[in-house]
This record gives sequence, structure tokens and C-alpha cells, in this order.
Amino acid sequence: MGNKIQLIDRLRLGLAVSVAKSVTLGVRSLRLGSASVLPGSIARRIAPRLLQLLSQQVKSGVILIAGTNGKTTTSLLLHTILERKGYRVAHNSTGANLENGLMTALLESTNLVGTLNVDYAILEIDENILPKVLIPIQPRMILCLNLFRDQLDRYGEVDTISKRWTKVISALPPETVVIPNADDPTLSYLGQQLPQQVLFFGLNEPEHYLDAIPHAVDSIYCPKCGHSLDYKGVYLSHLGDFHCPNCGFSKSQPTLDSREWSQILVGLYNKYNTLAAATAAKELGIDEATIRDSIKNFQAAFGRAEDLEINGKQVRILLSKNPVGTNETIRVVTQSTDKTTLLVLNDRTPDGTDVSWIWDVDTEKLVERGGTLVVSGDRVYDLALRLRYSESVCRSHLNLIVEEDLRQAIATALEHTPDNETLHILPTYSAMLEVREVLTGKKIL
Amino acid sequence: MSFELTIGWLYPTLMSTYGDRGNVICIERRCLWRGYNVKMVALDQKATVDDIRAVDLIVGGGAQDRQQEIVMRDLQGEKAEVLREKIDNGTPGVFTCGAPQLLGHYYEPGLGQRIEGLGILDMVSVHGGENTRRCIGNLVVEVTATRLARDLEEMIGSKPYLIGFENHGGRTKLGKVEALGRVVYGLGNNGEDGTEGAFYQNAIATYSHGPLLPKNPFVADWLIQTALRLKYQQPITLSVLDDTLAMQAREAMFKRLKVSLPTPALQG
Repeated sequence: MGNKIQLIDRLRLGLAVSVAKSVTLGVRSLRLGSASVLPGSIARRIAPRLLQLLSQQVKSGVILIAGTNGKTTTSLLLHTILERKGYRVAHNSTGANLENGLMTALLESTNLVGTLNVDYAILEIDENILPKVLIPIQPRMILCLNLFRDQLDRYGEVDTISKRWTKVISALPPETVVIPNADDPTLSYLGQQLPQQVLFFGLNEPEHYLDAIPHAVDSIYCPKCGHSLDYKGVYLSHLGDFHCPNCGFSKSQPTLDSREWSQILVGLYNKYNTLAAATAAKELGIDEATIRDSIKNFQAAFGRAEDLEINGKQVRILLSKNPVGTNETIRVVTQSTDKTTLLVLNDRTPDGTDVSWIWDVDTEKLVERGGTLVVSGDRVYDLALRLRYSESVCRSHLNLIVEEDLRQAIATALEHTPDNETLHILPTYSAMLEVREVLTGKKIL
Repeated sequence: MSFELTIGWLYPTLMSTYGDRGNVICIERRCLWRGYNVKMVALDQKATVDDIRAVDLIVGGGAQDRQQEIVMRDLQGEKAEVLREKIDNGTPGVFTCGAPQLLGHYYEPGLGQRIEGLGILDMVSVHGGENTRRCIGNLVVEVTATRLARDLEEMIGSKPYLIGFENHGGRTKLGKVEALGRVVYGLGNNGEDGTEGAFYQNAIATYSHGPLLPKNPFVADWLIQTALRLKYQQPITLSVLDDTLAMQAREAMFKRLKVSLPTPALQG
């Protein structure tokens, strides 16, 4: 990664950086939030090649983390591992993963003349932005976690996204390392087509197979020939052990044996996140003891399987922003003995404005076990309606509480939670920020 | 007497991209809550011609372009003929987004070849390519299809308005087929002529996800009632269900969109 920046760029960069830094200071001192997007947006107007200028200064390279679910958790684990080895790491750790968020993260680690002083940059990246930023960033490594249906109102379709990814990643230098999910047919196929060095990660634990393929599935057809895939078993959504009886396409071989690795947090989806980060860390030359130790001591990123204690009661926030993620967080809830759950559905831009997806979630599994479900959010009635239609008999033993006001909803849910139980909260993204703000009294974005 | 309905769900794993399963759930639950028996049949690659023939009500959802192609490769010959006969002869159904595109003459996706449809509905759908804006957002529609509007108005005691969420790249132009309704908020078939969806015999075609039926429960009941009437050849009165939550969800959205409409009275 060279440091050859032309003088004119250097001047522009310096100006962009100092403006961005004042904006950050301004936003923070006016208590407008944590300034995770705006500084990048302003600086980019001044130095259009900002992303490239900053990226090429990262000493050991930029690591991109893409995928529908798990970006923040995986980034945080990899960040933790690298820091434990004494590396300086820039990271868009608040989940601001569009272009301006990436630049803001890099700008934070930049001094006033535009010199970026970090060993690594870990950038979580929105699946649709990836093609746009690959050329300027020239990443050392790309982790492709999964492709599920998410925010289709903005982006269209899984197939289209994977086609674009294959095209743009193929064009990168051959030494770029790509780490795709072997269990995701679309990404397994992507990895098999690439000329670069490809290291797969995936599960090898049939005891965790689901009984049936859930409804919220996008890709059970062969990405190569379009024939139906045969699954020996499914771990979650369309992730599993598959092969195509027509053309012979099958799951790629993961580098690490998942049986030999423990996982962070709860839920099988976090096993995938663990394996992705571990595969990346090993490839970067980090010793296994450090990786295992980081996994053992990992603390959740905010709102993602985060445990809080509120007035002596345990609260667990499980971000639930799309059908696949929500099926998995419901799996975590139903595997516990706790009987009170708060669900919060918002439809703002970061959540996706289309809430139709709640009908692809198997909420029946949550409703069947009874207990108390409190619902809130911008689309509280849509969510309540979904839960009502999850009842097999009219007016079952379910205690459904509809509460427009989030603060009140949280208070009610806490009241219904006995002292020895955990309240699970399943919010969409913007709802998670609000929930956290109510619970901790702090604004984070 | 105990009624039974067989619901045919078109290609559940291929055509249910945007929560359209909610339409199936809605019909199924509203039958079960009333004590009717429901049989669900997947009308997919494994389904036989007899399976299609046996259904009393058909539900079809949206699909990604590639999936749509796989569906049309399968929906050929006698299978296609029987489905056409059913719809021509008045089997009620609700078809969302991709499904109506397949019932029209053809659909031209953004990338790739034109997909020939079944030609049951006199309409064509075209995707303008990668740079065309998707039609995305909340949708409010006044039902104008004559017979449906009359039936629904009779059920709810006021002009029928539908609420949903559209999310489509393709644009649909109607030929001689009647539109389902007139767009009050949103874009509808093509964002130009103010029409939304289509209505033919007892088939409702729409761009409205949301999904459509849970928040427009009177449409679900119309479908159930029509299916039962055709099957048992007698007028059927449905018992009243508590739709308070659906009405609250509608109200909340009308209020947000600043659309002032009469709220349907709860049935009964």
C-alpha cells in the first residue's frame, strides 16, 4: 500500500480532513449525535477521491465485510483480535456502512494534514455499495458473510446483487483474498468462479440441522444451472449442506473445521460470524491462541445479542431486521425458558420502508409458546396483526399487548418480566437505537 | 354444515418474495377461525393437473426475475390450460406483483429475454432496465372494478379502499381488462394512467404487497365467500371476526399519508 499522493491531492485531502474534523466536533458539541455519517459526506465534496486517498494509506490493508446479516458482529470480533495483537485499527463500528460512513470512519483516524495512521481498516459495507467502492479501496481482503432478502425496497434482488459482486470482485488483483460463506449457495458459487485466492468458511455440524427449510428462503435453486438444489440439511434459511443433482455444483470446502471452534454470543448465526472472523484472522497471520482467547472473551456490539441489566432485571436486545435474522432471534427466544418478549417494528430508511417481510417470519413459533408479547414501533399495528394471524385458534392463551409509545412499551414489558427471567427485545435497526436510548439514557447515533 | 376450501398456492418457494405468504395465512386463518376446513396445496413443479383442477381459490405472489423464468418453464401445456380454464370460469384468486405479470401476455425483465405469460389477462408488463426507478412505497387504491366494488361496498357499507405497499420494477399496461382500482396514493400499474391492478372474472391482480389481505380483510372475506358460493352453489354468510387491529393499522397509515377516507365499519 503506497503512500504516493500527489501534492494537489494532499492539499485537498488536508482541507477535507480538517473540515470533516470540525464538523465532527460541531455535531458532537451540539449533542446532535455521534457524527458517524455527516463528516464523510462533507469531506467528500471537497476531495472527491477521498476514499481512495485514505484507503491507500492503510498500512496493512483494508478488510471489507459484506453480507446481509452479521457484519457488525464479525467486524467487531476481527477488530478485537487485531487490537489484541497491538495493531491500530480503523473501523466503522457504529454500523454506518454506506459510502459516507466508511469515509467518516477513516477520517476519524486521520491527523489534520490527512495522514492516516493505522495498520488495518475494517469496513462493514452495505451489499449494494460494494461494487462502487472496490476500485477506490483496493481491499486486501473481502468477507462475504451471506446474502438474504433485506430492504428490497432499496435494492432489488439477491440474484442481481451476487451477479454484480462476481463481476466486480473478479476484476480485483489476484492477491486479494476473498472469504465467502461455503454454506450459502450463491456465495459458494461466487467463490468457485473467482480467479483470486478464496478461503471458505462454513459449518460441519449436522446436529444443528433444522427440521424443515423455513419459508423465508431466497436461494434453493442452483446458482449455476437453475435446477432445485438437494439439501442434506439446512442450518438456517438457505445455508446448509447442498448439492445440485443436475450439474453437480455443491458446497465448497471450508478452511476451518467448525467442530473445533467455540462461538461468540448466542445463536447459530453467531457461529458463522465467529468462523468468518477466525478464518480472516488466521489468514492475516494471527496465532490461534489469540483468536481463541478473543472469541472466549467477546462482548456484543450494541443491540446485537447485547445483555443489559435494568433495575435488577436482565434484558437481552437481539437486533431483528429481516426475515432470516428474525427467525434466528426467535430461535434464541424459544430455546430459552423466558416468557416475555418485546418486539419493535419501525419502517424508517435504515430499517427499510417495506414491512411486508414480517409475514415471511415464522412468528408462529413465538406465538405458539404463549407468554406475553408486547409490541411497539412506527408499525405497531402491522406487527400486532402479524402476531394475531400467528394464532391457530382465535384468541389463544397469548397475552398480546399493543403499545404505541415505546417508553411505555418497555416499561410494560419489564413489569411483566419476573425477576429471575430475561426480557428479550427484538427491534429493527432504528428501533434498536431507540430502545437502547431509553434503556441506557444515552444517544448513540 | 362444515365447509371446506382447497387453497392452491402458486409456486410457494419461487413466488413469495415480499411477504405475500401473508395472503395465504390470512385466508387460511379466517377460514379456520370460522371453523371451516382448509386444505393447502402447493401448485408447483410437483403439482399435477388434477391438483390444479381441485382448488377452490388461488393465491400467487411476487418473484425475482430468475424465479419467474423457472416458473414459466414449468407452467406449460396442460397445466397452463387448466389454470386458464379455472380463472376463466370464475375461480377466485389474488395475484400479486410477479403473478399477474405471468397472467398477462408477457413480461420483459430488466435483463434477459421476454417471458411469455399465459395471456389470461389482457395486459403486458415491461421492465425498463437497470436504470429504471423501482416503484416503491405505500399504496392506497379505490376499488373501481364494477362488480367487485359493488360487492365490497355491500359488505362494509362504504366505498372500498385498499391499502398496501408496492415494490416493483416492471410497468403494466392494461388492454381490455378492467382495472382493479384507481390510485389514490402511490404509483400503481405504471405511474402514468392512474390505474392499479386488474380484475377479471373473480381474479384480483395487484401490485400491492403489504401483504394485501390482512389489512384489507373484507377482500379476504370476499374471496372466501365467492369460493364457497361457487363450490356449494348456495349463498353463504360469513360470521363476523374481530378486525380491530386491521382497522387500526389502516387508520394509522391513512393518517400518516394524510389521506382522508371513510373507515369501513366493522362488519356486523
